[in-house]
Amino acid sequence: MDALPGLPTHEKLKQAFRLEAGTVQRYLYFARIADIEGFPDVAQTFRNLAESGICNAQGNLDFLKRVGDPDTDLPIGETDLNLTAAISATILEQTESYPLMAKVAREEGLLDIANWFETMTRTKKVHEQKLKKALAQLAAVRQEEPQ
Amino acid sequence: MSAASTPPASEEAEAPSPARPRTDRYDASSITVLSGLEAVRQNPGMYIGSTDLAGLHHLVYELVDNAIDESQAGYCRRITVTLLADGSCAVEDDGRGIPVDMHPLEGRPACEVVLTKLHAGGKFRRQSYQYTAGLHGVGLSCLNALSEWLVLEVWRDGFHYRQPYAAGRAVGELAKIGPSGRRGTRISFRPDPRIFGAELSFSAPTLVSRLRELSFLNPGLHIRLLDQGSGEEREFQYDSGIAGFLRHLNQDAKVLHPQPLALRLAQPGVDIEVVMQWTAGYGENILSYVNSINTVHGGTHLSGLKNALTRTVNRYASELGILKAENGERISTFDILEGLTAVLSVRMETPSFEGQTKTRVTNPELKTMVDEGVSGALLAALRADSRLAAQVVARALDASRARLAARRASERIRIQSVDTRVSKEVYQRQFGIRSQNWHQSAVWIANQALLAEHVRQLPSGHYPRMLDVCCGSGVVGASFKGRVGTMFGLDLTPEMIALARARLDCLTQGTVYQLPFRDNTFDLVVNREVLHLLPNPERPVAEIFRVLKPGGRFIVGQILPFGPEDAAWMYRVFKKKQPLIFNMFQEDDFRELLLGAGLVDLTMSEYRLWESIDVWIDTHETTNLHRHEIRELFYQAPQEVREVHPFEILPTGEIRDLWRWCVFSARKP
Repeated sequence: MDALPGLPTHEKLKQAFRLEAGTVQRYLYFARIADIEGFPDVAQTFRNLAESGICNAQGNLDFLKRVGDPDTDLPIGETDLNLTAAISATILEQTESYPLMAKVAREEGLLDIANWFETMTRTKKVHEQKLKKALAQLAAVRQEEPQ
Repeated sequence: MSAASTPPASEEAEAPSPARPRTDRYDASSITVLSGLEAVRQNPGMYIGSTDLAGLHHLVYELVDNAIDESQAGYCRRITVTLLADGSCAVEDDGRGIPVDMHPLEGRPACEVVLTKLHAGGKFRRQSYQYTAGLHGVGLSCLNALSEWLVLEVWRDGFHYRQPYAAGRAVGELAKIGPSGRRGTRISFRPDPRIFGAELSFSAPTLVSRLRELSFLNPGLHIRLLDQGSGEEREFQYDSGIAGFLRHLNQDAKVLHPQPLALRLAQPGVDIEVVMQWTAGYGENILSYVNSINTVHGGTHLSGLKNALTRTVNRYASELGILKAENGERISTFDILEGLTAVLSVRMETPSFEGQTKTRVTNPELKTMVDEGVSGALLAALRADSRLAAQVVARALDASRARLAARRASERIRIQSVDTRVSKEVYQRQFGIRSQNWHQSAVWIANQALLAEHVRQLPSGHYPRMLDVCCGSGVVGASFKGRVGTMFGLDLTPEMIALARARLDCLTQGTVYQLPFRDNTFDLVVNREVLHLLPNPERPVAEIFRVLKPGGRFIVGQILPFGPEDAAWMYRVFKKKQPLIFNMFQEDDFRELLLGAGLVDLTMSEYRLWESIDVWIDTHETTNLHRHEIRELFYQAPQEVREVHPFEILPTGEIRDLWRWCVFSARKP
């Protein structure tokens, strides 16, 4: 497994993870529309497949876990590592990803979409704080544990 | 029973696991066995859905539904619900009375068994009731378990009986009070404040709407509601059935055809009734019931109805040659449901529901039955009445065309917004049509307290010239009457200007991007809930700054999210309601916007206002799909949003949202 980092397969695993994670969200979105349109059977099919998609996406994480978080390449696995990686990702999103997206949208004159990306930036700041709080609480629990 | 007692401490614990050393022993002594009623008290949500207002009212409905079952069986004609001043409630019927004789297996009076044992009741064997609504025996004992106290009274076989209970257990024997010629059951109870919280209480208006609905669904039944707190008394008795219900629902609506479509399909074990009427409104209002239970989340019967409507209207329109099916033309379900008011009532022997509170019916056969039954009957009805058919088809085609036009309009915005200018016609079209029932489209528009909050932000002084910019019907500007001199108004659409003429002195048609006024003209400029709709809001604010006299004041009201936690969710809700939204301001954004234009002395006050979203989303700018999606966004709101943003979903399915109005006031230096 140590050979994985940097290999094309590592990139493919990240890609597979994003594909499956995206599929889950699309299917859940489609299911809701099918429900509204009055096709509960179709909605159920979408939901069932989304459930499989969750399993599939996490299957990719099972492999990726050994080399790092797909978004930040930071080590993941145990909860404190996961929290640290998640915090880094929110920082990356609020300082780079979303501001850049907002800038592009603004330049193209798509001002509502730019504002949507800006809203995301703010959301990520809040998420960063919440994750940091969870990390601090975890550290406090660890302190109390007998060695 | 060692429900929540401390587990026994043990010194001789097994070798602790390396991951997480614990000293608690996990063995037979730590396995808790809950009796049925304790299980209900510990997990009430599993039985009544929730312990909020909806759950509280569910207790009353439980009793009323039991009485309705008794009436369906042919034994009960009158139901009385009494709300007492001490927060208790009593439900009385003139049915057969719950049996009081000894239960052969339990050795206790049958009524005590029904009130204290889960899954005991008269509805497990089909002989007693054909179509039932009550919770099949979980109900009464469950209600009893969640009541601080309960008193059962039965009039039966010539005697009056009485038995007291507390927290689900009998606290006295069933006593024969004396002889009596009447018949029936009366259950008085006080919901346990330890479960529902001391602050929750029954709401008469909520009960009124459900009791009215029940009396429509059960023609001939007499239902009375007495509210001892207010002294109010309401009686409901309708012989008109769901046709009368539909008339009640549409009493204020402009209907498209005077005679509703009424269909009835009876098969062995299933009885289906539908009434439908299209209105000039935009929302769809379809109420569906199974054995008088309001299936708020629909289910197979509603899917069947929607399918039938779509299929039949498309088929009929193609037959007439109005629709070119071979070219792929098709009227969508949304288009057909737009403006439709319908009541669908199913009575059946063995309904199956999702969840204990039965908000969705799942019998698969129901879908086919309703679909085929309604399709056949509807097609026949359309063929028989060509005038009605033409109206229904034209209404759906109209909706379909409007939807396509709206999509084209939003595509045009996209193209035009490249140079950040939105087509004037798009706004004119949107807000021109909106003017038709402007004041009915939301509570906030004419809410006096909210308007007063704007006026409160105005420092004392002399303001000879005021401008209400994007004035709409002029209510905001007019609320300053008496504090200002001449009241000017500006709006983009002639329709709004016509409305505003009744309130303001001097009106001009024009755009806020380029105010048709000289520099330093006004002592006060007011505006409410407009800047979020404008791309590049800095420009209109700069224009407002320009036309203000030095020392002049700008007062502006805006709905803001409660925090970054609900901003994205609110963005989605607002964007679905109003595609023209460009900014979901947060508080500091909005401050920056005003300060960035050069304004100073900025103050803000908050005013929170409950708004029923059903009214708010019933406008032509919100498509039918979006209306559904907005409701779903509330139903499925993330925990993070719920923690900061109050809203409530009433037992009727109505959603009430708390809006955070922020009124800013700033001065031009």
